[in-house]
Amino acid sequence: MNMTLYAKMLKVHAKSISSYAIGSALYLLLIIGIYPSIADAPGLNDLMESMPESFLAAFGMEGGFQHVSDFIAGEYYGLLYVVILSIFCLMTASQLMARHIDRGSMAYILATPNSRKKIAITQAIVLITGLLIIGITTALAGVIGTEVLIEDKPFEAMTFLNVNLVGILLFYVISGYSFLFSSLLNDERQALGLSGLLTIVFYGMDLIGKMSDKFDWMVHLSLFSTFRPVEIARGTVDVWPMITFLFLLGTVLYGVAILVFSKRDLPL
Amino acid sequence: MIELNGLTKKFSNGKGIFDVTFSIPKGEVFGFLGPNGAGKSTTIRHLMGFIKPSKGKATIDGMDTWKDAAKIQEKIGYLPGEISFLDGMNGMAFLNLVGGMRGMKQTSYRDELIHRLQFDVKTPIRKMSKGMKQKVGIVAAFMHEPEVIILDEPTSGLDPLMQRIFIEIVMEQKEKGTTFLMSSHSFSEIERTCDRAAIIKDGKIVVVENIHDLQQKQRRLFDVTFASEEEAKRIKQSPLDVVSTTDNRAEIAVQGDYNQFIRALGDYQVRNIDIHEQNLEEVFLNYYNKEADPS
Repeated sequence: MNMTLYAKMLKVHAKSISSYAIGSALYLLLIIGIYPSIADAPGLNDLMESMPESFLAAFGMEGGFQHVSDFIAGEYYGLLYVVILSIFCLMTASQLMARHIDRGSMAYILATPNSRKKIAITQAIVLITGLLIIGITTALAGVIGTEVLIEDKPFEAMTFLNVNLVGILLFYVISGYSFLFSSLLNDERQALGLSGLLTIVFYGMDLIGKMSDKFDWMVHLSLFSTFRPVEIARGTVDVWPMITFLFLLGTVLYGVAILVFSKRDLPL
Repeated sequence: MIELNGLTKKFSNGKGIFDVTFSIPKGEVFGFLGPNGAGKSTTIRHLMGFIKPSKGKATIDGMDTWKDAAKIQEKIGYLPGEISFLDGMNGMAFLNLVGGMRGMKQTSYRDELIHRLQFDVKTPIRKMSKGMKQKVGIVAAFMHEPEVIILDEPTSGLDPLMQRIFIEIVMEQKEKGTTFLMSSHSFSEIERTCDRAAIIKDGKIVVVENIHDLQQKQRRLFDVTFASEEEAKRIKQSPLDVVSTTDNRAEIAVQGDYNQFIRALGDYQVRNIDIHEQNLEEVFLNYYNKEADPS
C-alpha cells in the first residue's frame, strides 16, 4: 500500500463517505425513534398477521416484531441499508479504478515507482475503509440510539451487532465484484452499469424467490440470501457459515481484481 | 539508455505498431515524429509499461519495460499526451501527491520550475486551461530530475514564450546528461532541441536520422509575392520547384538548397515571402510517398 495515495484518495472521497455514514446513521435513528409509538399501537401485530404471508416474508417481517432489534432489522436493514450501501459501493468502486483508467489520470499514478499491484491494493483499501466507516457508524448509531431513545424495551445488542457484521461482509462481497468490474473495464459507466445490474439481479431474485414458492430456487442463487437481518436479529440462524462464506468470497473477488489489473493492457 | 527491439503490438482492429526498433544513447534528445494515429503514443505506452508487447521488447537502462515497470519509474519522468489529472484537488496538491508517491524529499527544483513556468499552483485542476495543465504536467515530469524523460507532445497548448522556456529547461537537463524521448506531430517543434529523430508511419519506423540530415530533407513551401504577374510567370522557367502560381504570387517548394532559392529570387522584384505551415506528411513528402502502400 502507498500511504500518500491512500491519504489523498481517502480525502477525495471523504465527503461522500461521511455523507453516506451520517445519512445511514440518521435514518436508523429515525426508525428507532418511531419504534415506541408502533410497538405501543394495539393491533399492529394483528394487522401484520392479516397481510399475506409471502409479502411479509419478502421484507423479512413475518411473525411480527417482538424486539427493537427485530424491528430495526426489518425496517432498516431489510431495505434502506441495502440501498445506501449498494450505492456507495458501486459508485466508489467505479470511481477508484475505472474512472482513472477512463480519464487517463491512472497514467500519473502509474508513472511513479509503485507496482500496479500496490496501486490496486491501495485503492481497494480505500474502498474497504469507506465501507467500514459507514458500517461501523451505523452500528454505533443503532447501539447508542436504542440506549438513549428506548426505555425498558428488550434490545439484543449481540444479535444486532451480528446483523451489522453480516451486512458489512455482504457489502465486502458487493464492493468486491464492483471493484473487479472497475479494474477490468476501461469505461467508468460500463463498470458502474455492470456492477449495478448484477446487484439488482441478485436483489430481484431474492425478492421474487421469497414471495413465490414456484421461484424459491432463485433465493439460493442470490447473494442476498446470506443476509437475513430479521432472522439474525432474532438469533434463529447461525451466522458463522455466512460470515466465513462472505469473507472468503469477498477476499477472492478483491484478489482477482488486483491480479487482473496488474496483468492487463491499459489504454492510458 | 532506451532500447526498442522489434517492438510489435497488434490491436484487434489491425492497427498497432510493427517491429519498432531504435535505441537512444544516454544524454541524447530523441525526437519521435509522426502524424496523429501513427503509433507514437502506443510506442510510448510500451515504454511506460502500460501495455504488453505482442512481440519484441523494450528496455530502459537494461530493464524490461513491461516486467520491471515499477522499478523503471524511479528513473523516468513522464508527460502523457492527453493530460488528465485527478479530480478534486489543486495543482500543488497534485504535485504533492505525485511527489509523495515517488518518495520525493527535495522540492527546490520543483519550486524553481513552477516559478519559471509562471503558473498559480493554487488553481483547482478543473478550472485550469489546457496550457496551464500542460505546465503542471511538465513540472510533474521534471521535478524529480529523472535520468530519462519521456514527453508525449510536450509543447501543445503552450504559448511561444512558454515554449522557449520549456526548451531552455530541456537543454539544461540535457547538459546534466538526461536522456529524452519527445514525440511530436510537427517537425518544427522538435528540430530546436533534438539530436536525432525517428519518423513513424502507420506503426512502422520509416527512418531514424540525425536532425541536420532531416532538416536538409524537409520540403518547405514558400509563398512569394512578386511585383508583377509577369515575374510570377517567369519564375516557372527557373530551376526552382514552382508548385503553383496565382496572379503575382507563386508557391515554391525548397528542399535543402536554400542558397539556390535565394539566388534565383535575386533577379526578381519580391514584395513578400511567407512560409507555409505544413503538416508532417507535406514536410517529409519523400518519406511518406516512398513508403506508401502499393494499394
